Formats: sequence, structure tokens, C-alpha cells
Amino acid sequence: MPVLWLFILVLALGLIGFVLGRARALKDAQGDIRLLHSLPSYYGSNVLLATLIPGFAVLVLWLIVQPMVIHGQVAGMIPERGLTDYGSLNLAMSDVRRVADGLDIAVEQGALSAEQARDIRTEFTDIRGRLGEVGVALGSNVQPYVLQAAQTYRTMNATGHWLMTGAVLAAAIAGFAVAFLRTGKDLRARNSVERVILMLLLSAASIAILTTVGIVLSLIFNTIEFFKLYPATDFFFGTTWAPSFGGGSELGILPLFWGTFYVSLIALVVAVPIGLFAAVYLSEYAGPKVRAIAKPLLEVLAGIPTIVYGLFALLTVGPLLMSVFGDGGLGWMQGGRSVMTAGLVMGVMLIPFVSSLSDDIINAVPQAMRDGSLGLGATKSETVKQVVLPAALPGIVGAILLAASRAIGETMIVVLGAGAAAKLNMNPFEAMTTVTTRIVSQLTGDADFSSPEALVAFALGMTLFVITLGLNIVALVIVRKYREQYD
Amino acid sequence: MNDMRIVRKDVDMNDTKISAKGVQVFYGDTHAIKDVDVEILDKTVTAFIGPSGCGKSTFLRCLNRMNDTIDICRVEGNILLDGEDIYDKRVDPVQLRAKVGMVFQRPNPFPKSIYDNIAYGPRIHGLAKNKADLDEIVEKALRRGAIWDEVKDRLDAPGTGLSGGQQQRLCIARAVATEPEVLLMDEPCSALDPIATLQVEELIDELRENFSVVIVTHSMQQAARVSQKTAFFHLGNLVEYGDTEQIFTNPKDERTESYITGRIG
Repeated sequence: MPVLWLFILVLALGLIGFVLGRARALKDAQGDIRLLHSLPSYYGSNVLLATLIPGFAVLVLWLIVQPMVIHGQVAGMIPERGLTDYGSLNLAMSDVRRVADGLDIAVEQGALSAEQARDIRTEFTDIRGRLGEVGVALGSNVQPYVLQAAQTYRTMNATGHWLMTGAVLAAAIAGFAVAFLRTGKDLRARNSVERVILMLLLSAASIAILTTVGIVLSLIFNTIEFFKLYPATDFFFGTTWAPSFGGGSELGILPLFWGTFYVSLIALVVAVPIGLFAAVYLSEYAGPKVRAIAKPLLEVLAGIPTIVYGLFALLTVGPLLMSVFGDGGLGWMQGGRSVMTAGLVMGVMLIPFVSSLSDDIINAVPQAMRDGSLGLGATKSETVKQVVLPAALPGIVGAILLAASRAIGETMIVVLGAGAAAKLNMNPFEAMTTVTTRIVSQLTGDADFSSPEALVAFALGMTLFVITLGLNIVALVIVRKYREQYD
Repeated sequence: MNDMRIVRKDVDMNDTKISAKGVQVFYGDTHAIKDVDVEILDKTVTAFIGPSGCGKSTFLRCLNRMNDTIDICRVEGNILLDGEDIYDKRVDPVQLRAKVGMVFQRPNPFPKSIYDNIAYGPRIHGLAKNKADLDEIVEKALRRGAIWDEVKDRLDAPGTGLSGGQQQRLCIARAVATEPEVLLMDEPCSALDPIATLQVEELIDELRENFSVVIVTHSMQQAARVSQKTAFFHLGNLVEYGDTEQIFTNPKDERTESYITGRIG
């Protein structure tokens, strides 16, 4: 039975459970809902949930575990010879899956009967040709052991599927029965339904956290792998970035780090004053009408995809800077791509980020502070400068740090605006490159994941992750401390 | 009722400090203050009493043009401070507020040190020539605010860390530090406990020597205790204005009498 049908069946069972559970509770109370502990729909929901949760839990677990078990079994059938390392075992396994899928399709289309598919032998049949006829192209002739493995794979899959169907239905029916039989007017259905909802909320929250952990783990293992191949001191303190896939690369992070730092710095120098002043204007001076129009407009800026900003950098800002600082003008600039180009455009991108957050923070400063200052004969700007901004400062610093971590992680604007040359240079009109763009370029194309040139991307990513995480933590701590002041 | 005792306080024949004539205030379409005439005397405590929403706070905020900060608020009529119309175009509301200080309902110290809270006004208005001068102004203001002894050892501590009553006295000291001529107080004790209230009331009585004080209060006992003049507001009208003793013992208007005896409000 396909998984979709199984899913629908369990769902239908749950809905029947809802109706029956509700009816049973009502019957137990002789139709008087005042005698019930909970509202009737809670009894229904209770049976519904008791059916769905075990059913789906078994379904999900089975779908995760079965491939792992089968993989383990089938992998044992592939002979040791010809397997040089982990990668070629994977390759062989994907061959097995392909042949198995091919056989499935052939059976489905009637090119082979089910018995033929089971008993077919490479010695007697041209498998590649037969499968090619039904549209499954294989790279090479099928080895006998691959075919055997594929056939085992098919049978195990089919059995597993039947077992799964049985197990899922059994779990769902068991849950249904237990919940239904317990349903009576005194059952605390409301409480148990709410407990399930609580679990749902909890699991939603933990998914976000677990994902972060997963990301960190995936980075850590590859980073360790990288440092086995390339000395950490050379990575962290090397001043040259010259990867060559032929070997003998120099993979020093410093030029990239400098590029990231320089671009982010320029971006922040642009974004922080403009964003902050915009926020002060919007929250302190603008009338409600101006605010109603200006604030959403500013926030539209935040919704523009960064690649569009990148195009803006490449097509507009770069040539504009060239005409002033290039060969025709001051002669500081060699090409349209430079740290300045990317920094300016990234700064524009960050303006709404800074202004929107700061605006919220400034608005959170109590009106009583402003009244107190105005009541002492301070002007509006004195009030903003000496009372409102100092009171909002920790929050504003938090906003700026969040903006900084966005700047550090930004890729597209840098790719299009700053160029690809890894340089340690003070001139902001030189092309430079950043950590993120190098990660992209190290992993695009045919990357061999056992070479330091590809693995370095993970070390770069890990470094970047640690830095932005640190910035975010500092920002959150500051913002939290600020909140305590007024609550 | 022991608290209702009326202490006979001498009301000197003082000069008029603020004179309001035909004041009307509108919040959008709402007519909040209707044709109020009142004469506030120098070196006197004047209490504004009345039920919630009667416009007493609104009227108080007219006296230093704090209502200017509310967009939809419109004030008509004349308010003269020492014979000068404060709503005249030539008058800078900022200058006016330095002369007519204000203390708010809830203590609102700035999130700065105690010293900086007090020094805020003098610094803005350039009242101190040098640091020693400023130190002196701060000490004097804190003494006048009757809080010097409690905070003299921790002037660098944040003002927000004080207790509610101390914070309110700090705010009064802060208002006093700019040497205003009139001090407006909008229910200064409503967020305080009885002991802190008593301290603030004593303070108000002392402040009378130097300032004209206008206080809005919900507590009639408080009005009776601290003020020499009382104005009773009801539904945006000034119903009755006179000596505190007369208002509380022999009100002319029956609405005043009903309010004081607790039948309306």
C-alpha cells in the first residue's frame, strides 16, 4: 500500500474516532453536556489524537529505520574487492538502487513479470538493454552481484512495506481503542488534549534548536577532517589565499577575513548613522501620516533580494564610483568591483534593518522620560540626545550587532560588487573578496570532498558561524539587559 | 475624621502669579476644558481637585504648554504668567517650561546617576559656571527635595534604583534645580505609600516659601492638608475656586459640597 494511502487511512480512522468519541461521551452523559468534564469536541479530539499520534509515529519511524536496515543488509552482499573506500561503496549502493528501481518500473510497465524480475540473471539476459527499453539508463553493464543485491533489495523493501502497513494500522487502531474505551463523562479530555498541544508547541521549538545543533555538527566533522589535512596555524595565520585543486594550495584565512571585515565595516559606517537618524526621525519627529507611509516603505528595502542589490552594485554603483575614483578621475580605482562598491550597497541593504529595530527600541522608551525632560525646559532634540538615545542605547547597540552579523554573512552583494581577488590591502577601491564568496567558489563545480581545497569551505563556514554566533549572543545579552530596565 | 482637620494657614495677600481667562481646551472634537478663569497666587499652594476626567490635569498641563506635545490638542483663551501671555507667538515654550517646572504622577527619573538627574536641567540652561558651581546647585536642590541625607553618599548610583518615594522626591529636586517660578505637580503622591506621601507633602509645604505650587490631587485630605487655595473642577468646568478652608467648610456650590462629602465623583 503506498504511503499516501496509508496516511489517508490513518487520518480517516482518526476522524471516525473523533465522531465516535464525541458521541460516546455525549451518550454517557445522557446528552446533557453540563455533566461532561470537558466540551464534547474535546472527547472527539482526544480519540482523534490517540489514533493519529501512534499511527504517524510508527509510520515516520519505520520510514527512517527501514532504509537504514536494508542498506546495512544489502551492503553486506557487495564483495570487498573493487571497494577502495567509503565513496565507492556509496557508488555501488546507488547502482543497486538504480537497478532495483529499474526492475520496479519494468514490472509496472509489463516489460517483465514479477517472477521474471525476481529470477532474472545477468548470465542469460541483457539487463542493461531490457531496462533501457523501459527508460532506465544504466552507465555500465550490470555486474551479477549488483543484480543480486538489487533483487534482495526489492524483496526486502516489499516485505518491509507490508510489515509497515500492518504496524502502522495496528498502532492506530490500538490508540483508537484505548482512547475510545476510556471515553466517559468523567474523562479529563480537555487536559489531555491540551497536553498534546503543549507537546506540539514544544517539539516545534525544539526543531529549531536541533537544526542549529545539526548544522554545527555537520560543520564540525568536516572542519576536523580539514584540519587533519591542513595545519590549523597555516589556516588561521596564513596571509595568502591561493587554492589550486592540483595540490600545493595556500589556504590562509586572513585575506578573506580582512575582506569580510572591511566590507562589513564600510557597510556599517553607511547603515548605522543613516538608519539611526531615520529611526530618530520616524519615532520622534514624524507625524502619524508620514510614519504610516515612510515606515513600510523603509521596510520594503529589507524585502529586496540581495542578488538585486548585487546587480545594483555591479551596474550602477560600480560604474558611478569608477567615474569619480577611476582612471578618468582620481585614479585610485582599477575596476568597478571594489570593497567600496560592495560596502556602500550592503550599507543600503542594512539601513532598514538598523532603522526598523532602532525605531522599535526608541518607541519602547517610556513617554514619561520624554515628558520629564520636556517639563524641565529641554528642547525636543536635547531630549532625544540626552534622555531618549542614552536610554535606548543598549538596544540600539544590539540592533547594530545584529546588522553586523548580517553584513558578515552576506554573499551575493560581495560576489557581484567586490570581486574575487583575495588581498590584504588598505585601499577600499581595490577588489577584494570575503569568506562567504570563497565558500561558494570552493564548493561549486566538481568538488572532491576529500581534498583540503573543498574541505576548507567547512572550516571557513565554521569560523564565520562562530563569529556571527558570538555577535548575536552579545547582541541578545545587551538587548535583554536593556529590557529589564523598564519592565 | 482626623485627617480632615483644617489647619489654619495664613494666606498672605500675595501677588497673582498666573492668571487664566476664558481657557478652552479641545482634544480633537472633545471639549475638555470649558471657559476656565483662575488666578494662581505667588508663594501659595493651589490644589486642583475633582473627579477623574474632569480636566484638572489637562488644565495643569496648559500652564507650562505641555499640551503642545500632543498633536490633536488645541488651547484657546489667555493664560498670563506675570502679565505675559504664555501662548503668545513670541514665547518659546521651552523657555516657559524652565520657568514653570513640572512633577509627574509617576516618578520618572532618567536612567542616569542621581547627580546627572539633578544636573540635567542646570546643564541644559547653562546655570552653572563650573563643576563646583554645579555641585553646589545639585546639593541645594537635593536638600530642597528633602532627599540629600539619603543619597549624599551615592550620587553616582542610578536614580532608577531608589525607592518610589525617593524617586519622586528626586524628581521634585530635579524640577527645583532649574530654579522655576512655578511648580506644577500632577498627582505627585498617587504612586506612593502613606509614609512617602507624608514626606512629599511636608516638602510641598516647604517649597511654598520660594515657589508658587499647583498640585492636582485625588485626595481631598491631601488638598486640605497642603493647600491654601483650592479649585474644584467638574466635567471640564471650574465650579468653585477659593480659600481651601472655605471650600472644605463652607462650599458655595452644591456640586462642590456633594463631591467633598462623597456623593459625586
